[in-house]
Amino acid sequence: MNIDWTTFALEIVNFLALVWILQRFLYRPVMDTLRARREGVERTLAEARASEQRARALQVQFEDRLAEWNREKTAARVALEAEFGRERARRLEEIEQECREEKARHAAVEAHHARELQRDLETRALAQARRFTAALLARLATPALEERLVELLLADLGSLGEQQVRGLRDALADPAASVRVTSAFVLDEALRARITDALSERLGTRLSPRFEQDPALLAGLRVSLGPWHLQLDLADEANAFDGAARHGD
Amino acid sequence: MEELEVLFRLGPFGITRTVVGTWGIMLVLGLGCRLATLRLSVERPGLLQTALEGIVQTIHGAIASVLPEHPDRLLPFVGTLWLFAVFANLLGLIPGLHAPTGDLSTTAALAVLVFLSVHWFGIRASGWRRYLHHYVAPSPILLPFHVLGEFSRTLALAIRLFGNIMSLEMAALLVLLVAGFLVPVPILMLHVIEALVQAFIFGMLALIYIAGGMQSVADRESPTPPPTGNTP
Repeated sequence: MNIDWTTFALEIVNFLALVWILQRFLYRPVMDTLRARREGVERTLAEARASEQRARALQVQFEDRLAEWNREKTAARVALEAEFGRERARRLEEIEQECREEKARHAAVEAHHARELQRDLETRALAQARRFTAALLARLATPALEERLVELLLADLGSLGEQQVRGLRDALADPAASVRVTSAFVLDEALRARITDALSERLGTRLSPRFEQDPALLAGLRVSLGPWHLQLDLADEANAFDGAARHGD
Repeated sequence: MEELEVLFRLGPFGITRTVVGTWGIMLVLGLGCRLATLRLSVERPGLLQTALEGIVQTIHGAIASVLPEHPDRLLPFVGTLWLFAVFANLLGLIPGLHAPTGDLSTTAALAVLVFLSVHWFGIRASGWRRYLHHYVAPSPILLPFHVLGEFSRTLALAIRLFGNIMSLEMAALLVLLVAGFLVPVPILMLHVIEALVQAFIFGMLALIYIAGGMQSVADRESPTPPPTGNTP
């Protein structure tokens, strides 16, 4: 149990040197590695926690945005429904207006068609009346009837207005104007003389009319004074149906 | 007990087998740790690195369980005590080699270092005035007993390790001389267990002494009782 003081001292030095060696080559590198690994784990955990916090923040933000979006959606839906109601009312009003206009237009067209139809019916009725009248007058046309018509014409001549008489006189003032009397039947001399006298007396000048025959008159007389015509014949009366039908009255 | 022969001399110093064995341990530990820690990986530790980290973390955890505030500060000294004691105790198992801890000079040197480290870490932790004050607390009458306790536990620390390792080697030698070739094998297995246990006891006692010195002032201000250095 002796102590060798040299060994004692050297062992102290050796142990302190071993402490330094192990501190440099074992404890420090291993602890640094462990510390780095721990820091890495803590860093990863911190990043994970930060990611979790960000995710939660995003979740909260998303929920807020979702709620806000729902509110906006509800408000937009209400506004849309109101706008839709207004638009529908406006469109209904437009459609009703268009319907009214279309109805009015249709009524106008219908009225026009009715007038056209009535006019056409009247025209055809007048045409039928003319054909009937012409046929009837053709059967009634006789020299006696023509003589009676001449009487009526001469009576009408006496009732002409002064302005019309003055127009006839102005027409006879033209040297190229001629007086022509056309009848459906041959007039006898007495009747021709009465006609000549009546015209000359009414116009204030002696006339020498030229008498002609036109069976198309059916019965009656036509007196041509230049551009003027005085006539009373059945053909003209029958043609009056056509004129009435063409003018709608 | 025979006196260790001097193998060679370095100037005035006679180098014994104990010192040579210690140098061998230093060489093995130094080179081994240097080579093992050349390529430490944070992400993919290998088998050897995992073993090294396990050893260091075990020592660090043992220190932290006794002194949670300063495990990093005590790791080099206490960890080296444990590793050196394990290798020094087991070195005697190799035929022809001598366990350095079977020499009272080595265990005394370690005990003196523990004795000094107790005061060194204690003064660093609480200041020399407050540290020395605990020797006269709670009464100055206890000062001689404190001083006697300091020296006696240091002496016990040195004698305990020396006696156990020396006796193990002596017993193995006697059994080898008396019995046949394979008979000492159980004794050698007992030697391994005893070497590990003695290394653990030596390091743990040193840790408890140091922790007691560091916490001697703080413990008087806190209700927690200080760790006591019971002798096994």
